[in-house]
Amino acid sequence: MPETILELANVTKTFKGKTAVNDVSFSVKRGQITGFLGPNGAGKTTSLRMSLGILTPDRGKVTLFGSKPGAKALDRVGFLPEERGIYRRMKVIDVIVFFARLKGVEAGEARRRGMKMLDEFDLLHAAEQKVKTLSKGMAQKVQIISTLIHQPEFIILDEPFSGLDPVNQKSLERIVRAQADAGRTILFSTHVMEHAERLCDKILLIANGTKIFDGSVTQALGEVPRRIFLETVSEHDLVALLDAYGEVRRDDAGEPGVRCWSLDLAPKADAQDVLKACVDAGVKLTRFEPVRAHLHDAFVHLVENAGQTIEETADA
Amino acid sequence: MRNIYLIARREFLSYVATWGFWLSLASVPLFMGLGFGLPMLIESSQPTRHYVIVDESGGQLEQALLDGFARAQEQQIADIQEAVTDMVGDNPQVQQALASGMMQQIGDGRYQRVDLGLTSLEDLRPYLLEEQVFAVDGEETSLFAAVFLRGSVADGIAVDYWSKNRTDGGLRSSIRRALEDYMQEAYLLSGGVAAELLESAEALEPEVRELNPERSGADAAVTDAERIPFVMGIAVAFGLWIIIFSVVNMLLTAMIEEKGNKVLEMMMSATRHYEILTGKLLGVACVSATLLVFWMGLALGGATLVQQAAASADIPVAEIFSALLDPGLLLPALGYFVIGYLMYGAVFLAVGSLCDTIQDAQTLMSPIMLIMMVPLFLVMLSADSPDSPIVAIASWVPVWTPFIMLSRLPHDPPMIELVGTTTLMMVTAIGVIWGAGAVFRLGSLNQANQETIKGWFSFGKKS
Repeated sequence: MPETILELANVTKTFKGKTAVNDVSFSVKRGQITGFLGPNGAGKTTSLRMSLGILTPDRGKVTLFGSKPGAKALDRVGFLPEERGIYRRMKVIDVIVFFARLKGVEAGEARRRGMKMLDEFDLLHAAEQKVKTLSKGMAQKVQIISTLIHQPEFIILDEPFSGLDPVNQKSLERIVRAQADAGRTILFSTHVMEHAERLCDKILLIANGTKIFDGSVTQALGEVPRRIFLETVSEHDLVALLDAYGEVRRDDAGEPGVRCWSLDLAPKADAQDVLKACVDAGVKLTRFEPVRAHLHDAFVHLVENAGQTIEETADA
Repeated sequence: MRNIYLIARREFLSYVATWGFWLSLASVPLFMGLGFGLPMLIESSQPTRHYVIVDESGGQLEQALLDGFARAQEQQIADIQEAVTDMVGDNPQVQQALASGMMQQIGDGRYQRVDLGLTSLEDLRPYLLEEQVFAVDGEETSLFAAVFLRGSVADGIAVDYWSKNRTDGGLRSSIRRALEDYMQEAYLLSGGVAAELLESAEALEPEVRELNPERSGADAAVTDAERIPFVMGIAVAFGLWIIIFSVVNMLLTAMIEEKGNKVLEMMMSATRHYEILTGKLLGVACVSATLLVFWMGLALGGATLVQQAAASADIPVAEIFSALLDPGLLLPALGYFVIGYLMYGAVFLAVGSLCDTIQDAQTLMSPIMLIMMVPLFLVMLSADSPDSPIVAIASWVPVWTPFIMLSRLPHDPPMIELVGTTTLMMVTAIGVIWGAGAVFRLGSLNQANQETIKGWFSFGKKS
């Protein structure tokens, strides 16, 4: 059983009468990449701040590395906050060394590691430049290096992909993957499902301060119905024919003489059985397309099933 | 402690490792020099004003006027020489230089009489209106004023002063003074007072001695050196105010910049809010110590230079530094600085953490600035009236205590006031720092802003 790095037990936090996080419990195990998903204002940032002891919960208990979050534990954590910036008038290498030293790395070692990481991130040429001369993408790379410079066991990234262009998003995905391969535990929040789907071993879904899902990506995808799109040129009524396999809907007509359908498969139904039923009934199919569900669909489905609406609220 | 040190070090270096910091430090003596030199420069750059006198009395009044001008100029030069002697000692070289160099610059030297050979206003009017010019030493110039003198001492003297210039009244005043003196003197002489008696009367002045009742005999006389501690008390109180005011503004702007650049959240993920607060306060305190050492060194260097420049100058440098380094003033000054700085610094940091721009901060800063300005006036008041009830009461206001009590220290205030105000100030400082820390934490995490603070003081008003 992997070690529990972080555990939130029945944690609640309220600001000015508004509950930002309501009785949330979850844990992060060593070596996992955990995605912390939820719409804006769902309570992700508040939960992460409580995880590090930056905020104190009104109720419940937070345990980081087996004890209450404290200054010692922070040295083992690399946290990239959502609202991030660095000293614009400092040199790139000096910023990295400064944050490394705050995390307990000796000055010489911090400089050596900083230069190595700048090289890995193709930023060695900018080491002696002032931060204010860097592009936004370069500055974000420096922030990420500052987060990772002390080789933390546990990396928390709050909306790490926001503000990055597609190239840099891809680059950050590679960094996250490399850190995970190096044995680090990663928890990152996002509301962009594609990243979570590609990277995460486990996802936590939170909406309006309440946890609504905690499990693997596969489990999350299992929550959303699989769908098949069909197009026919025969007169068969697929609603009646395929009723046993799930919910069939007649969609708007496509080309003349072509009838369009969609089928949300029942939990135990198989797409192959649907195809066989159509063939056996003599349905003239021009399209039979089973569609793999995405985490985005699961996210929307789970949020709506939990009676929540996906809306942007004040950041909590 | 490690993080406090690192934050303080970064904060300190972010100021002192820049050219701008040292240039601004060096600019202080430059501006002080300008402050002294500029009025003299302005004075010396004034154009020479040319005027004509038309004496309709037959020449008597004109002569009286010119004699009066000459006497006034001599008196002014004598006054300056006396003031310089007081300041740098009796140095013949300096006095000679003053006498020769300033004769033309001081007093009425910049008003020069010319004779255009014209005696009627109608002839002089084109010159007064600058429609016509005349040459003086080969340079064309216009007429500043035409002065018509009429009457006599017995019947009354009338002066018509014609000039287009409405702002420069120096010549007009000099004429009034000179003729006033002439009239009074003539009146006394006509009444039978001997000229010698009149001269003797003008030279009369009392001898005033300042004596200390705590001593007697020859030792009772109060010397200039004895006044220095009181002057130093006021000077140090002002210095303390200036330094605290300067450095807390540094804290405010740095904090707003960090908040705007989103650095604070990164910092909060690496260290605790109280470590950030303490580190910043400590770092900027070191900056202010650098300011203090630099300016004190400059003052010492400046005093030494002045002494060397004027060989027999008698600036009481030793007494000044002895008063400054007196443990009775120095230790309380250090203590008041630390507490005052911590109080104001913590408040400014808290305000900075609530604001994203300097404009946001202005609303919150206005009442704080007003509170900070009050001790400036009270210190001035305490210079003359250290035992004034207003000064005594204001000493008990903890945020004013550092400045006012420092200015009162050389006057030996009652022990109860000394202990009481200091205790109250320290307790308040702890409360202020604690409260500022709480606000700083909220502000750093964007859970409070300037509107939150305004809400606290809305006293139940609903928005």
